[in-house]
Amino acid sequence: MANSNLPRRIIKETQRLLSEPAPGISASPSEDNMRYFNVMILGPSQSPYEGGVFKLELFLPEEYPMAAPKVRFLTKIYHPNIDKLGRICLDILKDKWSPALQIRTVLLSIQALLSAPNPDDPLSDNIARHWKTNEAEAVETAKEWTRLYATGA
Amino acid sequence: MDSEDDMHDANDLESVDDDFYSGDTGMGSDDGDAHYDFGDNESDDSDDITSRQQQNYAILSEADIRQHQGEDISRVSTVLSIPRYAACILLRHYNWSISRVHDEWFADEEHVRKVVGLLEKPVEMPNARELTCGICFENYPRDCMNSASCGHPFCWACWRGYISTSISDGPGCLMLRCPDPSCSAAVGQNIVELLATDEDKEKYSHYLLRSYVEDNRKIKWCPAPGCEFAVEYVIGSGNYDICCSCSYNFCWNCTEEAHRPVDCVTVAKWILKNSAESENMNWILANSKPCPKCKRPIEKNQGCMHITCTPPCKFEFCWLCLGPWSDHGERTGGFYACNRYEAAKQEGAYDESERRREMAKNSLERYTHYYERWATNQSSRQKALADLHSMQNEKLEKLSDRQSQPESQLKFIIEAWLQIVECRRVLKWTYAYGYYLPEHEHAKRQFFEYLQGEAESGLERLHQCAEKELQVYLDAESPMKDFNDFRTKLAGLTSVTRNYFEHLVQALETGLEDVGSSNSQATCSKSSSSKILGNKSKSGKIKPAGASSAAGAPSRSMDDGNLWSCDHCTFANPKATNTCHMCEHHR
Ligand SMILES: [Zn+2]
Ligand SMILES: [Zn+2]
Ligand SMILES: [Zn+2]
Ligand SMILES: [Zn+2]
Ligand SMILES: [Zn+2]
Ligand SMILES: [Zn+2]
Ligand SMILES: [Zn+2]
Ligand SMILES: [Zn+2]
Repeated sequence: MANSNLPRRIIKETQRLLSEPAPGISASPSEDNMRYFNVMILGPSQSPYEGGVFKLELFLPEEYPMAAPKVRFLTKIYHPNIDKLGRICLDILKDKWSPALQIRTVLLSIQALLSAPNPDDPLSDNIARHWKTNEAEAVETAKEWTRLYATGA
Repeated sequence: MDSEDDMHDANDLESVDDDFYSGDTGMGSDDGDAHYDFGDNESDDSDDITSRQQQNYAILSEADIRQHQGEDISRVSTVLSIPRYAACILLRHYNWSISRVHDEWFADEEHVRKVVGLLEKPVEMPNARELTCGICFENYPRDCMNSASCGHPFCWACWRGYISTSISDGPGCLMLRCPDPSCSAAVGQNIVELLATDEDKEKYSHYLLRSYVEDNRKIKWCPAPGCEFAVEYVIGSGNYDICCSCSYNFCWNCTEEAHRPVDCVTVAKWILKNSAESENMNWILANSKPCPKCKRPIEKNQGCMHITCTPPCKFEFCWLCLGPWSDHGERTGGFYACNRYEAAKQEGAYDESERRREMAKNSLERYTHYYERWATNQSSRQKALADLHSMQNEKLEKLSDRQSQPESQLKFIIEAWLQIVECRRVLKWTYAYGYYLPEHEHAKRQFFEYLQGEAESGLERLHQCAEKELQVYLDAESPMKDFNDFRTKLAGLTSVTRNYFEHLVQALETGLEDVGSSNSQATCSKSSSSKILGNKSKSGKIKPAGASSAAGAPSRSMDDGNLWSCDHCTFANPKATNTCHMCEHHR
């Protein structure tokens, strides 16, 4: 139903995501709703998330691309810019969204956020405080969570 | 830079930046204060509290705002040799300050261009027959695409959607940039006009208009609910009182209701205090009180404070202090004291009711005294305003009919009501002032309460005359012989009351500096020197020749016995003195 008059842009983006996936990222549309994507991002090397496989969901709202896609982590993750519901604090998903951005650029930005957490613009105050007061310990916790929640299962 | 310095006010350091280039904006703000005689706190232009002619502001309708905005844009566009849409973007960025735009531009054009997204050399779209839209990824003929000055092509439908989304997000659309995330080229009104829907064009232009008022430090909306006028103010010009075309009076500085002669800080403190105490004070605003004699509840449904209990009691008392009116209206030795907290306290007025006893704590009792007077004058002013309107709209015609007087001969009645409305406002704020006047400044307090009491008792007489005595002539079946006496009396009371209030306002605005007889000479010499200097309109208003002679007779007859009215300034002085308290003029 939602797929009947899918804009050409979404079809093109989807085709390209499938034919030339970005390294460490996979995104595939759900069978019954072409606006809903199952996403997997590999934890970047040299980050506390290395070795983890993180599941996300991405949804393209009716107004897309005039409005940003909605993205959320499904895998539990210890990160100052991601809260316990998996919501992500990323400027391009909010006021810096531009219709010339794409699903691919969004996912690449999220991958980059895993490599470079930004505790100065936190979504989760507790984790951000932890990061700022004792970064080594916070990184240990992030690694621990990656091991617990983002591997195997 | 001379004119800029003229605009510079010590209280308003930021004002330096404004408008030394701006030309004919309709109020000539570029000329510094050449056109405006703002006074300098020393002069007595503060004396006229009813009809200030010289204005340091202009009221702008929507059409005026658009015109001013258009003129500013043209000016920047001409001086900088840039298109109008670019001038508009620049002005918006620098909060509509022409001088700021010019300063920044001529200091570092490259930097300014970068910050606001105006490219020096526009880039054309790629020269191909077909181009791919960066939003919908479709290919279109080059003619069906558009770009900002950066050359990034998007199709019309995508532009329309992009602009529409931004406009529906609010005034941020005025700072729209190219959709390409790596590009910061500004998207101006030219592109909106070319590509957006009519509805969006209108919304955009509305945001632009609002920005010109809301982001501009020289312009504000009138705060009256529903009013669509804006006010352009000459920054640094001193007097903050604004009278909007909708008839609402407000303070430019704090946008509260006009509160001259009380300063904004006191007003803010007072308003805060009122909201903190509002629960305790609700009962004060009740419209009914027990008659001090027969204890039956009496409702106040008039503006003046002189209450007469219903028959058979008929006791005449003061709504505020519940004391006999005979202590108020007539001079029975001593001075009018209803306004004084200490006097009220001594007479035990605050033991009057159960409720007041509960409020025994001195601080609250003291506040109650001032708050009640502040609030009652406020409601009294509302009543007077309504009376003024009904007078203008219906009663004057009726009176003209009943008394066989042409309406043109009845202007003195409107003038009386205008004076009452204004005086209620001033009087109201002097109670906030009185509350914050330090207890230990005895001399100042005494002087203040004396002036306030004089003004208040004058106003009560005027209000009573306009409210009750006039009624007789309205109700009369046929013209009454003594209508001319009434005219003389009301016009006289209006003039006397105006004088009292002018003294009061002036004294408060100079911080009660004139307290003590040696200083009071300053008041006198100031006003006379300004007359010598030929300051016609001002001195004319302080003491209109015609009005003062009309005022002389009734005020003297009213001050029977205990007071004498000064020939020079009409101030009522106690019999025991031979020199006027206000101006040192000898009897
Ligand atoms: Zn397009
Ligand atoms: Zn661009
Ligand atoms: Zn207004
Ligand atoms: Zn103010
Ligand atoms: Zn009674
Ligand atoms: Zn009265
Ligand atoms: Zn009283
Ligand atoms: Zn005098």
